[in-house]
Amino acid sequence: MQQSMRHPILAALLITTALTACSGGRQVSNEEYGTDNARERILRGGGVNPTNAGLVVFGVDRSQQNEQGGPGGVSVNAYLWRATLETLSFMPLASADPAGGVIITDWYSPPTAESERFKAQAYVLGRQLRSDGVRVQVFRQIYRGGQWVDQPASSATNSEMEDRVLSRARELRSQTSASR
Amino acid sequence: MRKILLGTTAVVSAAFGAAVITPAAAQDAPTVRIGGSIQAYYGYINANGQSSNPGGTGDFGRIANSTVDAATGRGGYTNVTALTTNNTIPGFAAGGTNGIPTSAQATPAAGSAGNFARSGKSDFMTLPGISVIVSGKSAQGFTYGGQIDLEFNALEGNLSGGNRSSVQRSTAVVGEAHVFVAHQRFGQIRMGDEDGVMGGLMNSGFVTNFGTGGVYGVWEQFQMRQSGNRTQTGPGQLGDNTKVVYMSPQFYGFDFGVSYAANGGGFGQTGCSSDSATSGCDRAYAFRGATSWAVSPAGSMGPMARRNEHQAALRYRGSFSGVGVAATVGYIGASTARDLSNTGAQVRTMNNLNVWQVGAQATYMGFTLGAAYYQGDYNFFWGNTIRGDRQAQTINLGASYTNGPITVGANMVTGVYEGGGRSDFNAAEGRLVRQANPTAYGDRNNLASQRRWGMSVGANYRLAPGLDLIAEYVYHSVRENGRDLDAARAGVQSRGFANVFIMGSRLAF
Repeated sequence: MQQSMRHPILAALLITTALTACSGGRQVSNEEYGTDNARERILRGGGVNPTNAGLVVFGVDRSQQNEQGGPGGVSVNAYLWRATLETLSFMPLASADPAGGVIITDWYSPPTAESERFKAQAYVLGRQLRSDGVRVQVFRQIYRGGQWVDQPASSATNSEMEDRVLSRARELRSQTSASR
Repeated sequence: MRKILLGTTAVVSAAFGAAVITPAAAQDAPTVRIGGSIQAYYGYINANGQSSNPGGTGDFGRIANSTVDAATGRGGYTNVTALTTNNTIPGFAAGGTNGIPTSAQATPAAGSAGNFARSGKSDFMTLPGISVIVSGKSAQGFTYGGQIDLEFNALEGNLSGGNRSSVQRSTAVVGEAHVFVAHQRFGQIRMGDEDGVMGGLMNSGFVTNFGTGGVYGVWEQFQMRQSGNRTQTGPGQLGDNTKVVYMSPQFYGFDFGVSYAANGGGFGQTGCSSDSATSGCDRAYAFRGATSWAVSPAGSMGPMARRNEHQAALRYRGSFSGVGVAATVGYIGASTARDLSNTGAQVRTMNNLNVWQVGAQATYMGFTLGAAYYQGDYNFFWGNTIRGDRQAQTINLGASYTNGPITVGANMVTGVYEGGGRSDFNAAEGRLVRQANPTAYGDRNNLASQRRWGMSVGANYRLAPGLDLIAEYVYHSVRENGRDLDAARAGVQSRGFANVFIMGSRLAF
């Protein structure tokens, strides 16, 4: 059995090499692995990242940066922020302000309706994962008489986009919980 | 050679991309933190095996006197064996004067009929721990770090006092100590004393986020050893033996890992006599007594016979319509030390550790459901089995619900394992000798399976981040037909049980 197990391990290493060569995987953080350390189990149960807890005795406390996704990072809810980015990713991004929670896309014409284009603005409103934590405003223009003319977008479009963001945020949250 | 070197460089560059060959600017100096936890519980324990002699004529050399004492109006005892020798207790060495026991008296003979003890049902327990955590980022874009965990109540069975002659129960021991290097492109490597990928790092299906962990919680630490009520085949209980671990990045929801340990020991091998392998030399690949240590590694020696432990895990995590899903399939294997005969022959007496495990869990709106199943060659202490022993099967189920600061849950585990062992190693003959079939009820049952069954319900109330109030109940039983699991009681007790109720709080920082 020992001999036969060497082949799967070797295969796993080869697969890793191949996958890393072809595409970038997502880095798995230490909090996504199991632990039998009492401190980590207690903190994880309370939604606290064990890596960022405790008394810093040497170096700089970067827990705020880590929680916010890096220096100058996200000041709003990370799940909502990431879900909004993913939901609007089919449109070209014009600007994203993680500190203020504002995402503005560029104009986008669906391939099936090239005489019509859309632009979206999304506001992530706070640090908490709440159903009213995101606002999406969609703008619509149609090509008429040789120029783009503003047209009202359906009000349902805005709420539908918000629902998609919230669903995706809930998925991300569930995925994180399932790994604990 | 030049071609090989160039080719290798090209492969590495392709695999790891610019991260390896292009230094990044965002270097972070290491941050060192100190954290810890304090768990304090009250336990009510109703279990068998808590009293070594519940009563009878052997009761400290006296028998119950049914005659009411005229002066006190109460029943009493009558001495039937001489206690006239100063401070002599049956089973202990005679001697001592003026009420001062001799050193021989202070050390009862093992297995002596005079080793009498009766244990109470209530106790408090404190489980302190301190962790030192290091984290940083290198100029090449690698994150790195390490952790040292100190535990202060891990020496099972040690005295609470013993200032002069013994190691105290509160002595600090290192639980885990490891260093890691990680990168987004190629994953993480850990080295040190740490769980393996299927020994706790990547398992799925074990729901332990309520109480102290239910059947895998601290109830075991309230147990006496007599009936062997333990849940020792949990994911984190395979051992923190020194190993190297690799865990991949996540690709399309999948990540995988492998780990390898040279043997079952932790912290390497220093200063061990080559002829005292049974006293804790973990590097010996053949030694007298290997068979015995393999079967009962939960004694003072640990998993002595485990060699070349290797684990592999494949895990998937994703979400479907808001339901978070995690599933893992994995393998735990290890070869085993050989037993030595009187003539120095190495005899293969044990099976390799050979375990397959599959587990899955789902989370939705605060509900979590999980199940795990594992089967193969292992005993209930994650030890190797003797050749001819049956395989073991374990199933674990759990569920929990979290709503705001409250988490409630339940889990259970049941499994069938080898019982008393079907063969012994005869060093003189250099072979395994199968035990004779039992001839009478109560004889050593060498063909029995042992069933272990545990269930738990528990709840947490989160007062503050890192501070919980806890209530938990655990029932556990061990059954093995014909094997006496409570020698203190009359007849053959084929069932050992424990009921443990726990209340308390825990704090982590």
